Amino acid sequence: MDTLNELIGGFAAAMTWQNLVFAFLGCLLGTIIGVLPGIGPVAGVALLIPLTMNLDATGAIIMLCAIFYGTAYGGTITSVLLNTPGEAASAITTIDGYAMTKIGKAGAALTIAAVGSFVGGTIATLGLVAAAKPLGEMGLMVGPPEFFALMVVGISLLVALAGKSMVKALISGALGLLISMVGIDPVAGAPRFTFGSDNLLDGVSFVAVIVGVFGLSEILSYRKDSAASIVHAPGLRSLLPNRTEWRRSAPSMARGTGIGFGLGLIPGMTGSVSSLLAYVAEKKFSKHRNELGHGAIEGVAGPETANNAHANAALIPLFTLGIPASPTIAVLMGAFLQQGLTPGPTLFTEHSEMAWAIIASLFIGNLLLLLLNVPLVGLWTSILRVPASILTAMILLFMVIGAYTINFNVFDVFVMIAFGLLGLALRHLDIPLAPMVLTLVLGPLMERSLRESLEISQGDFGIFLNRPISMVLIGVGVLIVLSPLLKLRKPKALNEDPET
Amino acid sequence: MTTESLTTEPALKGRVARSVLAGIGAFVAVGVYVLVSSIGLGLWTTLGPGPGLFPFAMGVLLVAMSAVWLVQELRNPSETTEGVDRGLVLAVVVSLAVLAGVLDLIGFQLSMFLFLMYHLKVRGRRGWPSSLIIALAGSVGAFYAFNYGLNVTLPTAGIPLLNSIGL
Repeated sequence: MDTLNELIGGFAAAMTWQNLVFAFLGCLLGTIIGVLPGIGPVAGVALLIPLTMNLDATGAIIMLCAIFYGTAYGGTITSVLLNTPGEAASAITTIDGYAMTKIGKAGAALTIAAVGSFVGGTIATLGLVAAAKPLGEMGLMVGPPEFFALMVVGISLLVALAGKSMVKALISGALGLLISMVGIDPVAGAPRFTFGSDNLLDGVSFVAVIVGVFGLSEILSYRKDSAASIVHAPGLRSLLPNRTEWRRSAPSMARGTGIGFGLGLIPGMTGSVSSLLAYVAEKKFSKHRNELGHGAIEGVAGPETANNAHANAALIPLFTLGIPASPTIAVLMGAFLQQGLTPGPTLFTEHSEMAWAIIASLFIGNLLLLLLNVPLVGLWTSILRVPASILTAMILLFMVIGAYTINFNVFDVFVMIAFGLLGLALRHLDIPLAPMVLTLVLGPLMERSLRESLEISQGDFGIFLNRPISMVLIGVGVLIVLSPLLKLRKPKALNEDPET
Repeated sequence: MTTESLTTEPALKGRVARSVLAGIGAFVAVGVYVLVSSIGLGLWTTLGPGPGLFPFAMGVLLVAMSAVWLVQELRNPSETTEGVDRGLVLAVVVSLAVLAGVLDLIGFQLSMFLFLMYHLKVRGRRGWPSSLIIALAGSVGAFYAFNYGLNVTLPTAGIPLLNSIGL
């Protein structure tokens, strides 16, 4: 009953008009980021961190969380209407979503996707409520060696899943760790890799790096061949699915929720893996599997439910153990740290009210998204009609403001430009960017727990193998990296072959 | 201008693309630099691991993985390398660098106005009215919105004359 009382308290805190406005704005901005194909959730969330710097911590985190799951829905709109996924997790939705658009059922597809997202997101948040206390208490018993081992597992999973080559993923991860080490060393206090610059003593600004690597490099790699398409928003009346469509979607939503929730808990799994597997599940188990690929509602309901369930479930390891499960969550974790909050088990003991207010806001946000997205679909599609030159100029404007306002220092704008070029080079060399973000955020925490562990053991690396939990975790991590068998195919590959 | 987009030649069969070699070379160079400087920082102290230990491990990883990558490329060179629109990269990077360079000098409003006009009017070839409206909204409008709406101060001009007229 304790949990219920705290959740009710959380609702009371989340329902203040300021926090409701933050949740609303977050949903709005998140959807816009999701709709814009040029800018993905990682850069989008990073870009908007500076906007929230002067807000109180609860409001800031509520808004950023809303942006985060808002993107998961926004990407669907372009997938369905344009056959272009706004972000990777919605790629698989293009198959049946766009097919439904071609037969005049775009409205039903969008509504079902919104309802599915709501169902998946809400159930996953209920999971967070149930898991918060027990997992958090377990997390408090975890010492530095276990924490280090847990992060090793998370990073190795991401390395194994990102891109085609594990070698390249490891290079990306190592680069992220090295960048995170610039500045004053957290234990001994010695400056490292600062090249004598005072600007680097506090480290390279995380927001500037992310905005550069993910946002600016995306703009720099634009190519001319993307022709503008004409988009027609479906009318309000056609938005309502008929009774058969509802009935057919229900089991798909249930499967999608299960898959997204389960995979969301595993560090390293991204939303795209969830939506892909949900689609595969529909192909196997759906009663109408023969229609998949030709505009079957199941092909929209399953993956869309899964990716929102995933997005919300991925918050569970962050809140309870302090481990970000995906690059976007890592950016969100960076925002927590900037606000002076350390996500993880201590969040519930030190900032209990705030933690519950944020959780309550997830319920509110999911409801807001449902109310916002369906009737406003015309507005979202009109964003796509804005000419590319204006969009690019506006995105650059926000990048400069975002990078500058972190420390109110022009130096960070130059950092962003430099990392934009680095990001472009990495894209060109086909090196995945995701491992870099994760290690960038986790780097300082990993190093601290490694060094604390070794101080406990007086320099004996055996400490990681003498303690049962860390031994198992390290073993799992090593297995993952050594076994190329665990490499899953990227959904992108499947996207290039839409009829499979 | 942006119209001439230069596409990098696809690697010939059996040869490693130059960009890949340059990339591997750069990673090895960074790795070696990290290794050398982390030894200087101290790998081990009497208290346990020193500030150089973790970077040293990353340096080893970086150099080792670059070597493995080189071997992979020599055996089976990766084929497609997508070209980059060099005109676009140059225009965006240089304009951003100039903007950052003059931001503290002539203030956010004027520098951002010029930056947006360059991207809308010169590069985007938009008409005067729409360019002017959007550039003004993005510079002067954003300045006041951030200052008074979000309590985030954007830089004003360092030059007294400009500063005195509110820029």
